[in-house]
Amino acid sequence: MSERVAIVGVAQTKFSPKRADVNYAELAYEVIERVLADTGLQIEKDISNSISCSHDIWDGQTISNIGITDVIGGHLRNEEKMAMDGSTAVYYGTIGILSGEFDCTLLLAHTKMSQTNRNIVNNDAFDPIYTRMLGFDYTSAAALQAKRYMHVYGITEEQAASVVVKNLSNATRNPVTHNKGVFSIDDVLNAPIVAAPLRQMDIAPDTDGAVAIIMASEKRALEITDSPVWVRGMGTCYDAHYLGDRDLSECMALEKAAEQAYRMAGINNPRKEIDVIELGEEFSYQELLWLEGLGICEHGKGGMMIDSGVTAMDGDLPVNPSGGLLAGVPANVMGLNRVAEAALQIMGKADGHQINDVKTAVAQGHSGFCGQHHCVIVLGRN
Amino acid sequence: MKRNVAIIGGGQTHHAARRHDVNQVEMVNEAVRAALLDARMTIDEIDAVLLGNMEFFEGTHMTDCWLVDGTGVYGKPGLKITTGGTVGATIVCAGAHHVASGLFDKVLCIGFEKQEEGDTGAILSGVAHPLYGRSMAGAALGYFAMMGTSYMATWGAKEEHSAMVAVKARQNARKNEYAHLKLDITIQDALNARMLAYPIRMLDMCPASNGACAMILADEKTAIDRCKKPVWIRAMDSAHNEQFELDWRDVTTTRPIFSKVSAARLYRKLGVKNPVEYFDVFEIYEPATWAELLWYEDLSICGPGEGFKLIEDGMTEIDGPIPVNPSGGVLSTNCIGASAMLRVWEAALQIRGDAGEHQVPKEVRRALTTAYGGTNWSVLIALSKSSDE
Amino acid sequence: MTREPFEQELVSIPMVVDVPYRFAAGKYMSRFLIELRDNGRFLGIRCPSCNRVQMPPRIVCAACHVKNTEWVELGQEGTLAGFTIMYLPLTDPTTGKPHKPPFTYGSVRLDGCDSVFDHFVNIEPDINKIWVGMRMKAVLRSKKQRTGDLSDIIYFEPIEGQDKVT
Repeated sequence: MSERVAIVGVAQTKFSPKRADVNYAELAYEVIERVLADTGLQIEKDISNSISCSHDIWDGQTISNIGITDVIGGHLRNEEKMAMDGSTAVYYGTIGILSGEFDCTLLLAHTKMSQTNRNIVNNDAFDPIYTRMLGFDYTSAAALQAKRYMHVYGITEEQAASVVVKNLSNATRNPVTHNKGVFSIDDVLNAPIVAAPLRQMDIAPDTDGAVAIIMASEKRALEITDSPVWVRGMGTCYDAHYLGDRDLSECMALEKAAEQAYRMAGINNPRKEIDVIELGEEFSYQELLWLEGLGICEHGKGGMMIDSGVTAMDGDLPVNPSGGLLAGVPANVMGLNRVAEAALQIMGKADGHQINDVKTAVAQGHSGFCGQHHCVIVLGRN
Repeated sequence: MKRNVAIIGGGQTHHAARRHDVNQVEMVNEAVRAALLDARMTIDEIDAVLLGNMEFFEGTHMTDCWLVDGTGVYGKPGLKITTGGTVGATIVCAGAHHVASGLFDKVLCIGFEKQEEGDTGAILSGVAHPLYGRSMAGAALGYFAMMGTSYMATWGAKEEHSAMVAVKARQNARKNEYAHLKLDITIQDALNARMLAYPIRMLDMCPASNGACAMILADEKTAIDRCKKPVWIRAMDSAHNEQFELDWRDVTTTRPIFSKVSAARLYRKLGVKNPVEYFDVFEIYEPATWAELLWYEDLSICGPGEGFKLIEDGMTEIDGPIPVNPSGGVLSTNCIGASAMLRVWEAALQIRGDAGEHQVPKEVRRALTTAYGGTNWSVLIALSKSSDE
Repeated sequence: MTREPFEQELVSIPMVVDVPYRFAAGKYMSRFLIELRDNGRFLGIRCPSCNRVQMPPRIVCAACHVKNTEWVELGQEGTLAGFTIMYLPLTDPTTGKPHKPPFTYGSVRLDGCDSVFDHFVNIEPDINKIWVGMRMKAVLRSKKQRTGDLSDIIYFEPIEGQDKVT
C-alpha cells in the first residue's frame, strides 16, 4: 500500500455473561469514552467518521445503529453500520481512510447476547426456503463442520479439547475475559454434549460487551501516538452459502482472504513471519481449521499445530494468547476483539498475556455459519 | 478522493408489487446481470461486491451470505452495510471508497428489497426504541403525516400542494419502464384517494416495492478504456441524526438538521453557490409528498416555506427549469434497500442521456441525489459528466 | 435474457420469525421509567454544554458529545407540535395486534423541554378540532396501575377552554 493506516487506540469492556445494568448505547459509550480519553481525541474536532458492527436481530431494533448514533458521534455526521463481524469494520475503516475521504475513524462493535436467544437468532441466518425449518443454528452447523473436518483429516476430539484447555488457561491471564480456568482434556471431554461432537466447553459462551478502536491515516497517526499499529494487509472473501455446496473440511474463503492480506503485507512465509495470531475460534475445532486456512500449516495438519506446542503461549507462534473467543466474546464483537488483542500485542499493552517482541500479528474474524465470510487483518509495528 | 471514480454501468429490475416468480437470490441476480450487460463486463472482472440491505425487512439475518449465488460475490471480497433507507446510497459511497483507495478497480454495488416477504409496517415500527415509542405503531406513515400537518400550519400550504407532488411523480413514472406504480392521475384523484393518516392519502405515499438495483463503479483508466459514457462521482456527504429527536416533523425548528447540514457541507466541498444553476436535475428521496417540498427547501432550491409555491408554479416538472425526480421517485418505486441507489442510477441515466422517455429535455451535466432513512439520515451524492467539474 | 411464460405453480413459504428479547432499559431510561411509575412524573436531562433539555434522558448529548448529569423535572403540560389522525390499523409490534382506527396521535413538547414526545391524543379524530399549538396535558394511569412503561401514560388531552388562534 502506498499510504498507510494505523490503529491508534483500543478499548474493551470487561466481557461478562450478562450486563443488565446498561442498554447497548451505555455499553458502547463505556469503550468510546475510554478510547477517546486514552488517545486524547475529541469527536467533533478529530473524528471524521464512525463505523459500528452489530445486527438488527441481535439488538432487537430495526436499523439498530439508531441506538448508538448518539454515542458514536453520528449526529449530523458520517456514521455507518457493517452488519457483519467486527473485523470488517477495520477493513472498511482502512478503505475509507485510504480513499482520502477520511483521516481518523472511530470503530465500534457491540452486542448483548444475554438479551435474546442465540439459537433463534442464528437460525434466522439460514435461508427460509430450504434450511431454516430444519432448525439449524450456528452450533449445529459447526458440529457438521467439525465432524467432516475430523473425518477427512483424522483430527481428534482430544486435539479440539486441547484448544479449549490452552485458551481457557490463557484467559486467566487476560483481565477482560469471563470464561477462564485451568482445565484438563478430560474436563472438556466430560462436559455435556450439545451437538456432537461439540460439547459445552467447545462453544464460545454467550457474552455481553463492546470494543472500540480508533484508526487514522499515517500523518494523523504519528501525531496521535508514539506506538501506532500499522495495517499492513487485509482481505475478505465469501464462500458458498449452502453447507452442501461446500466441503466443510476446507475454508476457501479464509485462504483467499489471507492471500490478499499477505500479498499486501509482503508476507511470503506466514509460519515464520508472523509473531502472534488472534483468530476467531467460535468453536474449538475452528482454531485448527482456521490455522490451515491462514496458511500456517498444510491442509489437515491443524491438529499437529496444537499437539506440537507451537501455538502455546510460550510456543514459537502463539495463537490466541488472549484466550480467544472461547474465553467469551460476543457475536459481532468477535473480530474487532481479535484485532484489538492483536494490536495490544504490538503496542506491548497486552496486560498479563503479552508475548515477547511482537512485530507482526494477524487477526481473523468471520461472519455467517461455518465461516462463510472471512476477514483477515495483518498488523505490524513498522 | 485519492482517485477519480466513475459509474460505468448499472441496471435495475422492473419493480413490482409482487415478484412471486423469483426468490431474493434470483431477483438480485436480474439487476446484477443487467448492470454487467450495460457495462459489457463479466462477473469475473469484478473485484469486489458490496451489498446494502436491511436484514429485518425480509426476516433473514445475514442476507449477504444467503445471496452469494445471485450477487456474484462467491470467492470474492465483499461486505454488507445496513443503514436503513439510505443504504442504497451508502453502498455507492462504499464502492467509491473502495475504488478511490487504489485497492480495487471495479466494484459492484447492489441494493435491493423484496418488501412482500416481510411485514414492512411492523418492521418500520421496530425502528423506534423498544421501551420508548415502539407501541405507537405509527411507523413512517405517522411521521410524514405529522410533517404534513406541521408544514400546512406553518406556511399555509394546502392539501392541493401535496396532490401536485403526487401527480408529478405518478405522471413521470408513466415514462419510466422500470417504475412500480405508473398511474395516470389528476389532482382530484389524489385529493379523493383513501385517507391513510391525515393529511396523507394513498397517492401521497410511496408503495412497498420488490426490486433491486446494481451499479458498477470503476477507476478512471477502466472508465476511459471501457465506458463510452462514464458518470463521475464528484462528492459525497452523509449525515445521521440522534435518536428520539425527529425535528423534521416540526418545520419551525431552528436547530441544525441533517438534510440542511449535509447539503451545506456538500455544496462547500464543490464550491456550489447556487444549486439551481449548478445542478441540472435532482433525484431526491421522498417517501411522502411533503418530504419533497422540504427537500426543495433543505437543498436551497428555494427558501424556507417556499417549497409549495415551487410545485404550484410547475418549476420542478420534468420539462421545467428545475426538474426533480423525473424517474417518478420513491413515490413510484420504493424497494427500500435499493431506493437510494436508484436515485443515483436514475441521475446517472440522465447524465448519460439514457433515461428514455423520462429523459429531461435539456442538457444534463450535473445531478444531485439524496437519500433518506433511519431516523432522519441522509446521504447526498453529486454526479457529473466530467471528472473535474 | 429471454423469459418464457411461467405456467408452473409457484411456491411461497409462510413463516413467522419470532425472536424473544429482554431489553435492559439502562441507567438513564430506568430512572425515567421508575419516576413515571412511582411518582407519575416526567424527567428530562439537561446538557451541560448546550443546555437543551431532552426527554427521554440519555447518556450523552449527541450534539455536544458530553455526558449528561443534570436531571430536570418536567411538568405534565405542553404544546402540540404535530398531529395526525390514523386511518390504518397498523400493527403494534409490541403486542402483535392492530390499533383500531381512526385514532389521533401527536407530538407534544412539554413545557421546559426541547424534545417532542409522541403519544395518543384523546380528542375526537376531526381535523377541525385539533391544531398545531394546542395546549395539552398528560393523563396517567393511577399509581396502582402503573408499571414503569410508556403505557402508564394513557394519552394526552387538550386543556379545556382553548380556541384556535388564527
